[in-house]
Amino acid sequence: MSKIAITGIGVAAPSGIGKRQFWANIKSGRSFIKEITRFDSSKYPSRIAGQIDDLDKYSHVSERLLKKIDAFSHMALISAEMALQDAGIDIKKEDPALVGIFLGNALGGWMYAETELRDLYLEGREGVSPYMASAWFPAAPQGQVSIYYGIKGFSKTVVADRASSLMAIGYARKVLSKDKLNMILAGGMEAPVTPYALLCCNTYGALSKNNLHPESAYRPFDKKRDGFVIGEGAGIIVMEPVSRAKARGANILALICGYSTTCDGENRINPSRDGKELARAINMALSDAGVTQEQIDYISLDGLAVDIWDNSELAALKIIFGSRIKNIPVSCPKSMFGNLLGASGAVDLIITILAMENKLVPPTLNLDEPALNGLNYVTKQPREHTINKALIISRGRGGINSVLVIEK
Amino acid sequence: MEIRDKIRGTLVKLLSIKPEELKDDVSLQDSIGVDSTEMIEAVIALEKEFGTKLSPKDITKFSTLQDIESVIKGKTNQ
Repeated sequence: MSKIAITGIGVAAPSGIGKRQFWANIKSGRSFIKEITRFDSSKYPSRIAGQIDDLDKYSHVSERLLKKIDAFSHMALISAEMALQDAGIDIKKEDPALVGIFLGNALGGWMYAETELRDLYLEGREGVSPYMASAWFPAAPQGQVSIYYGIKGFSKTVVADRASSLMAIGYARKVLSKDKLNMILAGGMEAPVTPYALLCCNTYGALSKNNLHPESAYRPFDKKRDGFVIGEGAGIIVMEPVSRAKARGANILALICGYSTTCDGENRINPSRDGKELARAINMALSDAGVTQEQIDYISLDGLAVDIWDNSELAALKIIFGSRIKNIPVSCPKSMFGNLLGASGAVDLIITILAMENKLVPPTLNLDEPALNGLNYVTKQPREHTINKALIISRGRGGINSVLVIEK
Repeated sequence: MEIRDKIRGTLVKLLSIKPEELKDDVSLQDSIGVDSTEMIEAVIALEKEFGTKLSPKDITKFSTLQDIESVIKGKTNQ
């Protein structure tokens, strides 16, 4: 399959909105996990998260539209605008039939839904906004971004738990490889910091309960890990065929050269312990990219900070990379701002692109004492390192394994 | 004019627009691009404001501020 160019980045995350601010904070190795204050979360076992409190400052969206959409659509609209600007694309000059949008989301827009459902029970059906129907569901951001820019090409929303956005990007690449579209906006968004969504995430049973120390709660691969921390945000990229990107003189940030996905199919919550299906996905993604494992010089880890997930991820890496895994820098930068669930893979990809550009591997926070040895963990501070080819791993509930290979 | 001002006030608040964007004799669709879902919201808000019930037949007559005013006048006998 042909390589696809990434020519623009848009990101809205707890650690920054816009790639410059975002990267500056990622580089600093600071934690952006805090206690949830947006609503009374005192009775939740896990009540910490990566939150975005200044979205409105960066918004180009009218008050009139904001009343009709949930925060996850708002984040997608902001990220899409930033990505287009970064790519230097005036979408009005594009053929709308040849522009697509592929987004990933896991939960839907619950702040809007919860508020309206409350009104339904308190005031009856007339208390419910007619926009409820089009505001809460996972494909709502796809629709809003499409309407905003008049996008009319083949588009999709992928719902695959935490693997959603990396899968959406993999899908977008497949469509562009068939020369069906000129460009695609791809990525994901998630807004889980709401009373009901937080409850669902808590029920999953894998969140850290280290509420007293939010900044050190998310500790992937560390001995003292006790689960992950959720975060909200969006990451969207502009994808184009390489020939088109070159023809218009675009700045090609990276090339997507391989992708694959597999499912463990064993348990509805947990992955397989042996990591074999993740290893198969890595193998197929490398083969799709025409890249050997020896050429990979950075791995962005899924790092859920849950024993079975971290252990099986490491097992998969050992199957594919053998003893060489000791030499490849690996990290899980989402430990700084939280796991953005359906948006996590897209944001991991964006971090990896920025790491390539800046020749700097961002660290895993709170990895003080590895529970498992044998990996070349980058911890605490970023490490100078030239990345030519990188692997990004994103996994969803029950063992949905998505793997992307990118190159400079 | 009082009814028309009330209608204008309700729509301005509901749609987060400026009062001058609403022209008396231009359809809401042409002036501010009201879509069908916004029209449903507007109907609910106007029903609350004027304490009346509007039927689907009434709503089909909604186009300009003047039209809405005459429907509501008919309903409230003002």
